[in-house]
Amino acid sequence: MQVLEQILPLVQKPARYTGGEWNAVCKEWTKAKVKVAFIFPDVYEVGMSHLGLHILYWLVNQRPDALMERAFAPWPDMEAQMRERGLPLFTLESKRPVAHFDIIAFTLQYEMSYSNVLNALNLAGIPTKTEDRGEDCPLVIAGGPCAFNPEPLADFIDLFVVGEGEEVLGELLDSFVEMKDKGFSRPQILRGMARIDGVYVPSLYRTVQEGGVYRVVPAEEGVPVRVKKRLVRDLDRSPYPQKPVVPSTQAVHDRLMVEVMRGCTRGCRFCQAGFIYRPVREKSPKAVISQAAEMLASTGYDEISLLSLSTTDYTPVGGVVRALFSEHAAKGVGVSLPSLRADKFSIELAREVQRVRRTGLTFAPEAGTQRLRDVINKNVSEEDLLKTAETAFKSGWHAVKLYFMIGLPTETEEDLDGIARLARKVLDVGRRSGVPAGRLKVTVSVSTFVPKPHTPFQWLPQDMPEVVGEKQSYLAARLKEKKIAASFHEASLSLMEAAFSRGDRRLGRVLERAWELGCRLDGWSEHFAPGLWHAAFGEQGLTPEEFACRQYDINGPLPWDHIDSGVSKKFLAAELERSLAGLATGDCRAGECPGCGVCPSLGVEMAIKRGGDYPAAL
Amino acid sequence: MYVKDGPARYLSHLDLLRAFERAARRAGLPLAHTQGFNPHPVMAFAAPLPVGVAGEAEFADIELTQPVGPAELAEKLNNNLPEGIRVREARPLPPVYPSLMSLVQKASYTIRAGAERPVGQAEVEAAVGALLSLANIFVERAGKKPLKKTVDIRPGIFALSGRVNGGKVVFWAVLRTASEGNVRVDDLLAALVKYSGLPLVPPFECRRTGLYRDGGEEKELLWT
Repeated sequence: MQVLEQILPLVQKPARYTGGEWNAVCKEWTKAKVKVAFIFPDVYEVGMSHLGLHILYWLVNQRPDALMERAFAPWPDMEAQMRERGLPLFTLESKRPVAHFDIIAFTLQYEMSYSNVLNALNLAGIPTKTEDRGEDCPLVIAGGPCAFNPEPLADFIDLFVVGEGEEVLGELLDSFVEMKDKGFSRPQILRGMARIDGVYVPSLYRTVQEGGVYRVVPAEEGVPVRVKKRLVRDLDRSPYPQKPVVPSTQAVHDRLMVEVMRGCTRGCRFCQAGFIYRPVREKSPKAVISQAAEMLASTGYDEISLLSLSTTDYTPVGGVVRALFSEHAAKGVGVSLPSLRADKFSIELAREVQRVRRTGLTFAPEAGTQRLRDVINKNVSEEDLLKTAETAFKSGWHAVKLYFMIGLPTETEEDLDGIARLARKVLDVGRRSGVPAGRLKVTVSVSTFVPKPHTPFQWLPQDMPEVVGEKQSYLAARLKEKKIAASFHEASLSLMEAAFSRGDRRLGRVLERAWELGCRLDGWSEHFAPGLWHAAFGEQGLTPEEFACRQYDINGPLPWDHIDSGVSKKFLAAELERSLAGLATGDCRAGECPGCGVCPSLGVEMAIKRGGDYPAAL
Repeated sequence: MYVKDGPARYLSHLDLLRAFERAARRAGLPLAHTQGFNPHPVMAFAAPLPVGVAGEAEFADIELTQPVGPAELAEKLNNNLPEGIRVREARPLPPVYPSLMSLVQKASYTIRAGAERPVGQAEVEAAVGALLSLANIFVERAGKKPLKKTVDIRPGIFALSGRVNGGKVVFWAVLRTASEGNVRVDDLLAALVKYSGLPLVPPFECRRTGLYRDGGEEKELLWT
C-alpha cells in the first residue's frame, strides 16, 4: 500500500484511514469462504460510533468460514487523492480493495447518506447500478432503518435486509456459501436469498402506478408480496461485541456502548424508531452488568454508556446504573445516560452517577403547547418540564438545551408562540434557582418535521419550504433574548430528507444525477449543496416538494406497503385519527395494549425485566 | 521509553494519550487518578510528535498507586498497546521528579526525501554546508493570529548532515525542542525544500530518533 503511505501525510485526520486499532480483526484471507466488507456511508468517527457495526463485525468474524472488514466514506481531501492516484476504496484491516470481497454491506441510518453509498461504490470501482453488475461483482446489500422504505435505493442495492441485521446475516452467509459451492450465478444467488425471511431483492419486483402512487409488486413467482421485518426475540441471547474495536482517533461517541433495550413504546407519532423497533425488549440486569464488565476489560474505556432509544425507560435502570457505578467507579470509570427523560427521576439518577458533570442537559418537549404535544403523543407536561429544569438547575447544571420541531401536523401560530414562551419560562426557572447570571443559558434547537414511513404521520405532507422559512423567522424573532440561543435546522436539508424518506423508485435517477453533479456528505452542512440537489430533481422533471409535501390518501397504497414492520396500517391510521382529535395513546408497557399488532404479527412478546436494586436482587 | 511507528504514526497526541490510558486499563495496571469531578490518569508525555512522524525513543511518565516491576509493566503494556506503539523500556520514577516537558531541550531526526533527479553525495554536502552557513533561515508557520508567522530557525538547528542512500536523500538533524525557540521538523523540511537547492520531492519520511536534555555541546538522552 505504497500509494496510501504517500497520501496519508497529505490529508486531514489520517488516522481515519490507517486501521490497526485495538480489537480490529484481520483474518486470513484464503481461509474465509465468504468475505464481507462493511461500509458505513459516513466518515470514520461517525461510523465507529454506530453499535450495529460492532455487533455485525463481531458476529461475522466469530464464524470460522467468514470474515468482515470495515470501510468508511473518505473526507473530500482523501477522495481527491484517491481518485488522482487511482487508489480504490479499501478496507482498514487488510487494505484490500472492497471490490475483492464477496459481499459489500451498507447500513442506512439516514437518508442524506445515500449519496455516500453511490460514491463508495464508484470509488470501489463497482457499477453503481444493480443491472450493470456482472458475475465478478460483489453482492451489494444494505440494512438499517432506511431499509423500511428502500425504494429510492432500489436501483443500486442488490438486496435489502429488513429489520434487525444480526438475525438475518448468519442465514445470508450460510446460503451464500452453499450456493457459491454449487456454482450458482449471481441471479440464482439473489433468487435463492429472496426466499430468506426479511430479505427484499428489488430487482425481482416492479412498480405499478396506481392513482399517482408507485407501489411495488413482485415481478415473478416465488418472492413474497410483503417482506416482514426480522427481529431479535431475546436480547440476552443475542450477539453483542465482546471485543469491540476501539477507535484509534476520537469517535463521536468514544465510550463503551452497552445496549440495554430495543424498542420504545411511548408511541410518539412522528418517531419512526418508535414503530419499526417494536416491541420493547429489555436485556436482563445480569446480562447488562456482566457484558459491561467483559467489554470494559477488553477495551479499556473509562465510560460506560447505556444505550437504547430511551434508557431512563429501561425498567431496572436505577439498580443497574448504581451496580455499574459501585463496581467500576474506583477504577475511574463513569456511567452515562445518553438520553434523559424530562423527569425528576432521570435528573437525580444522572446527578448520582454522571462522572463528568457536563455543562448542559438536553430535553425534548418537541412542541410548544400541550395541545400539540397531545397531537404527537409526546407525554411531557409543561409542569414536569419546569420542575425537572428546576431540579437540574438546583443540582448544579446551568445550561439547558431544548429540542423542538416545527411544521408538525395541525400547528398554528399559537404553538410557535408556545415554544418561545416555554424557553423563557425555563430561563426564569434558572434565574429563580440561583444559577449565576453569567452562566445561565437556554439553547433552543428547532428542527423541521419530516414525515416518516411506518408512522401515523406517514400520509401527511411536510410544510412547503416557504412556510418553513416563514415559521423559522417568526420564531427567531420571538426567541431574541440575551440568554437564549436559538438554532434552526436548514430547511432545504429537511426537504431533501423528507423527499427521500417517503420517496419511490423514481428517486433513483435523481440520486444518481445528484451524485454525478458532486453531492457528497450531505449530512455535513459544509458539504450539503441544495442547488445541486434541486438541479438533479429538475433534470428528471421532478421536484423535491412533490415527494416531501405530498399528502397520501389514507385508504390508498403507499410506495413502502411491501415492507412489513409488523405494526398494522390500520393501527397507524387509527393513531392518525386520534392524533387529529387531540387524543393521547398510552404506553403498552403500562399494561394496556393499544393494538399496534406487532406482537401477534411477528409472534413475539414484549420483554420487561423487573426493577429493583442490583446486584443485591440478582 | 516507547516507539511510535506504523499506523500509530498517524495518531494525534491526544489519540496517543488515550491509547496509553486504555492499554493501561486493559492491562489492569493500578493507574493513579487526579482528584475531582472528572478524574483522569496521572500521565505525562515528553514533546508531542507531529502527526505522521515516527518516534523511536519517546518518553512518558505514568503514575501508579502500587509499585509494579519495570519489566512487568513494559510487558503488560506491550500486550495491550495497539499496532505500532511498543514500550522499549520502563524504569521506576523517583518520589519527586521533574516534568518531562521541562527536561527536553533537543531532538534528533532523520528525514528521508525523494529526489527528482539523481544527486551525488558531494552535492548534498555542499547544499547542507551552504544552508548552515546562513545567518538566518526564515520559514513561515501557519497560525491563528496572525495567520502567517515568519520565524528564524537557524539558531535552533544544532546539527544537520545529509547523505545519499538508494536514490533518496537522508538528512540527520538535531533541533531545538523547547517552549522557546522550538524548531519543528516540518520547519526544517520547509527550509530544505526552499533553500537547499536540492531537487527534493515527497514523500518525506520523518523519524524522531531521540529526545535529549541540555547537555551543552553534547547530547544527553533523557535516560542515560
